[in-house]
Amino acid sequence: MATLTRQDLNFGQVVADILCEFLEVAIHLILYVREIYPSGIFQKRKKYNVPVQMSCHPELNQYIQDTLHCVKPLIQKNEAEKVVMVIMDKEHHPVERFVFEISQPPLLSISSETLLSHVEQLLRAMILKISVCDAVLDNNPPGCTFTLLVHTREAATRNMEKVQVIKDFPWIVADEQEVHMEEAKLIPLKTMTSDILKMQLYVEERTQKN
Amino acid sequence: FHPLPWRQSRRASRGGYMAAKISKLEEQFQKDAPREKQKDGTSSCIFNGVAIYVNGYTDPSADELRRLMMLHGGQFHLYYTHSRTTHIIATNLPNRKIQELKGEKVVRPEWITDSIKAGRQLSYVQYQLYAKQKSLNFTSICARGKPDLNGSCSIIFEEDTERPRVNGIHDGDDETCALFCSSAGSKSTSHQRSLISTASPAKQPGLDNMQKDLHPKPRSNPGTSAAPQKGNLHDQTRVRLNGSYHTTPNSSNLADSSNHPGKSGQGAEAGIISEFFSHSRLHHISTWRNEFSEYVNALQSRRRAARGAVFSGKEKLKKLKANCSSLMAAPQVRQSCILHVDMDCFFVSVGIRHRPDLIGKPVAVTSNRGPGRVAQRPGANPQLEFQYYQRKQKQYRKGKLSNGVDLDLAALSMAEIASCSYEARQAGVRNGMFFGRAKQLCPDLQSVPYDFQAYKEVALSMYETLASYTHNIEALSCDEALVDATNLLVEVGVNPDDLAQAIREDIKEKTGCSASVGMGSNILLARMATRKAKPNGQYFLRSEEVDDFIRDQPVSSLPGVGRSMSSKLTSLGVSTCGDLQQLSISRLQREFGPRTGQTLFRFCRGLDDRPVRSEKERKSVSAEMNYNIRFTQVEEAESFLTDLSMEVQKRLEGAGLRGRRITLKVMVRKPGAPVEPAKYGGHGICDNFARSVLLAQPTDSGQLIAAEAIKLFHGMKLHVKDMRGVGLQVQQLEGSHANPSGQGSSRGRSIKDLLLAKQPAHSPKKDPLATSSSRVCSSSQERVTHPSSPPSTSSDPVPGTSKGGLHHPHPPNHVRTCLNVTIEVPSPSQVDQSVLEALPVDIRKQVELSWRHREEQPSTSSHLSTPPRTSSSPPPGPSLGTLVLQLPHQPGQPCTTGIILELPDFSQVDPDVFAALPRELQEELCSAYRNKRNAQAHVQAQSSAVMQKNTFPQLKQPAVGKLKHRYKKRNASPAKKGPSPLKKLFPGNSPAKSSPSKTLPLPLKQPGLKVSLTDVPETLSKFNPRPVPTLAGAYEFSDIRTLLREWVTSISEPMEEDILQVVKYCTELVEDKDLEKLCLVIKYMKRLMQQSPESVWSMAFDFILDNVQVVVQQTYGSTLKIT
Repeated sequence: MATLTRQDLNFGQVVADILCEFLEVAIHLILYVREIYPSGIFQKRKKYNVPVQMSCHPELNQYIQDTLHCVKPLIQKNEAEKVVMVIMDKEHHPVERFVFEISQPPLLSISSETLLSHVEQLLRAMILKISVCDAVLDNNPPGCTFTLLVHTREAATRNMEKVQVIKDFPWIVADEQEVHMEEAKLIPLKTMTSDILKMQLYVEERTQKN
Repeated sequence: FHPLPWRQSRRASRGGYMAAKISKLEEQFQKDAPREKQKDGTSSCIFNGVAIYVNGYTDPSADELRRLMMLHGGQFHLYYTHSRTTHIIATNLPNRKIQELKGEKVVRPEWITDSIKAGRQLSYVQYQLYAKQKSLNFTSICARGKPDLNGSCSIIFEEDTERPRVNGIHDGDDETCALFCSSAGSKSTSHQRSLISTASPAKQPGLDNMQKDLHPKPRSNPGTSAAPQKGNLHDQTRVRLNGSYHTTPNSSNLADSSNHPGKSGQGAEAGIISEFFSHSRLHHISTWRNEFSEYVNALQSRRRAARGAVFSGKEKLKKLKANCSSLMAAPQVRQSCILHVDMDCFFVSVGIRHRPDLIGKPVAVTSNRGPGRVAQRPGANPQLEFQYYQRKQKQYRKGKLSNGVDLDLAALSMAEIASCSYEARQAGVRNGMFFGRAKQLCPDLQSVPYDFQAYKEVALSMYETLASYTHNIEALSCDEALVDATNLLVEVGVNPDDLAQAIREDIKEKTGCSASVGMGSNILLARMATRKAKPNGQYFLRSEEVDDFIRDQPVSSLPGVGRSMSSKLTSLGVSTCGDLQQLSISRLQREFGPRTGQTLFRFCRGLDDRPVRSEKERKSVSAEMNYNIRFTQVEEAESFLTDLSMEVQKRLEGAGLRGRRITLKVMVRKPGAPVEPAKYGGHGICDNFARSVLLAQPTDSGQLIAAEAIKLFHGMKLHVKDMRGVGLQVQQLEGSHANPSGQGSSRGRSIKDLLLAKQPAHSPKKDPLATSSSRVCSSSQERVTHPSSPPSTSSDPVPGTSKGGLHHPHPPNHVRTCLNVTIEVPSPSQVDQSVLEALPVDIRKQVELSWRHREEQPSTSSHLSTPPRTSSSPPPGPSLGTLVLQLPHQPGQPCTTGIILELPDFSQVDPDVFAALPRELQEELCSAYRNKRNAQAHVQAQSSAVMQKNTFPQLKQPAVGKLKHRYKKRNASPAKKGPSPLKKLFPGNSPAKSSPSKTLPLPLKQPGLKVSLTDVPETLSKFNPRPVPTLAGAYEFSDIRTLLREWVTSISEPMEEDILQVVKYCTELVEDKDLEKLCLVIKYMKRLMQQSPESVWSMAFDFILDNVQVVVQQTYGSTLKIT
């Protein structure tokens, strides 16, 4: 908090920074928990004062980083509605969708000094919930892959087309089959509401996974 | 127009044309001079070598000055030339120009006239316009006496109707709000002094009255160079803060202002905002609606008093009807008919009603009277702003923008057009357009100045005219009103067209302005008909035509459909109401939310059930200023907020309201936007921020609002220099009459003030404290007072519950629901001195201490929660005197009509304590509870044989039942009440249930039955709208759980109503995007209900789950997994 001076305090930026950092941690953790990649590529780290797993596969990490880098400006402008991590089976049909639904709190503000620690607490709770989500989810079939989707608000996609945040990292409109899952069940994992951010995480799971 | 140095340079580069022109003009001047001298005998050559250039309006006029210069040997330049013009003559220059003209001699025209009078060329120093600017320093001189000058924001407000205007930049010729910051310390004061002293030697005879205020231009005065740095800084500050005007009042004015230091001192400081608002034309016009509403109300009440007034218009109408037999055919069918009366381009028609020459010409009402071109100020970037607005506009109307406007925007006047005539509209001029732009579109455009007096007169006479027909009038604004003519038409027996004709003729006759009237069976249709009726016509939209008519109307003509909504509708492929009719209600509700969706659905079919209301409930009271906000220091912003709060206070008091939610809105210059907006003093491109706070109690105190606003302001951590607008809004209003002693009482907001103000109301029972303390309660006095316990302030073992009574979050509710119940805290003034003296010393000391304590403490401080009273109570010991005070305070059921009563819930009464009470107190309590119960739950009076101990359980039962019921009915006190009452109350039920008293006839035969509850009317739920979904007031999951458990375990068969409430709550959770909680709630319910022996519960759960799943499916496309 001390580093933020009055002049350059930009709500959107602060929110986007915090959120993208969290998303990165969360995505790595989901990959680990849902066993998308062999556990050998993961390392144990500490984030939000809790242990998390982080991949050390450079290309995978780069993909996640690039994606989030592109998502960040959207979040900054409150144009991203959902960030979805889709886990797909071999036939590229989604089996699970981890949906981070982002919305602005009723009153956006950065008020107190305790704010960040409060947000951190909430994010920690979310991380912990992710790490135990395998208890409420069925096992995935072998050979799953994942992809990241962003649901934007209004015409944000057009801007994304125009301005490529990272060169040669364009976005494409998601396939209907990636977005839509038949007979999905919804499992809410965690909801957080803080002064700067309101987010809920739920999983949509295909009823028949195999 | 006004060639300025920077422009001159541009001109020079343009080649020889200007030079040729200038020299030609000079030749002409030289040629004319001798002729002029001949005509007028009094010639001289005192101005030899002087060449003047007149900038802007002067008195005497430029022509006259030219003549004078001819006569007296001077030169007159029509164009400013830096090297050759020696003096610039001006009376009024904007800040920008002054800075541009730095180093030039800018002199007031008096210099010339006085010199001629004196017969010699006087020193121009005394006449410098710069000195004039300096003269405004008197603010700081006057402020000298104040102890803390830092940041004090003193304001000069100068209202000079005859003030000449320089050019079109100033759009506030009728209001000048010059804001000066005198952050002057003693340093700058000394600086002022030094200036004064250096100025004195130069004074001229006959100018004594000016010497105080005129200081020589710093450049030419050696004294200034020695002036401390701070003084200079101070000057700069002022210049920047200064509004659009650098006024140059004539010398008598100046003397005036220096003679009235109060004007610039403390008094002015407090006055600035109210001054601003009392002169802001927009504010004026916007407040008129309220004024006219009040006018209509006054008329109505007068008629009520007079028992049938004479409606002159109605009489006339009757006569007309009698005379004209053709009107006999008027339909006698009683059908509602609303008239929408709207003046045709009100401001214009009022403006030109005495100027027949302008009739039929394109006319616009605006503050700009020039040709629509102004000089650009450095720092401003109109192009950028224009592009910004254009972009913004594009978002809404894609491609509809007319191109080809990127002319020389820099030079266009930014004065907005308030209203323009139909002729001007044909040329493409629109209301709200900048004048410069309009002038381009329509070169013949004539501008008419504002004339507020006339607007008011005309509006008033329009309302008078309408009121002569009926009093069912809803004032919409100064120039439009709704009239419910249903009864009138039936009574008089004319048809709507004749009525409209009569009204329009009447208005035309009385005001000289034309009005259009639209008629329809409801407000919506009447308004739409007006559109068709305009200009100067009338249109009756018959019910059989409605369908065809409305189908072709654009959606944007529906009320509530603004730019964003119509663009959204366009994206849905909807442009007319007919298209809109194709959409299903569920679709609309999904797109726009349940309420808006339904409204749209109805509106596009011409359905509207809003009644014509003469009085509208206010939702918020606010004051906002976004003109001329240029702070340099945080302190200025703070003092501005304080002033603004005072303005809000004034308005709240005016409306007789108090509010709980305070919202601070701030406009901050958007990063990258130009520092100086294109419009002088305007806000330019801004980001808007808003923060709000909910107070424990409604307030109308400016101080309190200011304190909160400043807190919010600091919380926003803004850069004060970038602030461009500040607004304060107070919401969640309630009438201030809840406080029996009227409005003034809450002003000070200290408890003492509150009590002092309340004193008269309670005078009959003057010293409750003493009463209870000395135990002289007569049982005939059937009221139990619940006075504050003085010891509660500190380490008293008794949890001073009564004190919480005052600051408890819910008293407002109860205050609202109960007739006259207020919080009773004795203040020194209310306590009988003799009784106080009779008290034991230690108690007396405690009482006094608490008074002192409270005086120090503003009412908003802590005491928010009432410490729950449990069983451990101190034995009635030496402090028996305060025993009554120990009664736990539950602000639940204050009772009996008109008497101030604050009884705890019976469930809260500890039997031990009760038993320990002296007998007479017990009796009094019992009777009080009995009364209360009688009043509330319609219980038949209990037998008077109330026994000490067993009364308690008897009474307790109903209380419990009621409470339970209360929760079930969702009317419980706001969720803020939090866990404490819930947790406490529910366990408290069990002993009561098992008590033998269960056999007694319960007042509530069945929980869940609808019993009229006097203590919790429906109004409560809407009183405190909360964004968080709540179930029966609870929003914490633990509370919800308790509630559900109570519901399922205590009732064998759920009420349908209650189930629906639960479903509604779950739906709200989905909408609130809190699936986690929803899932928990459902799972909990599943456990509870499926375990319940009654199968109805299982069914109830299935019902709830089905409903919730449908909602979830709609929102998320999949259903919840319930394991």
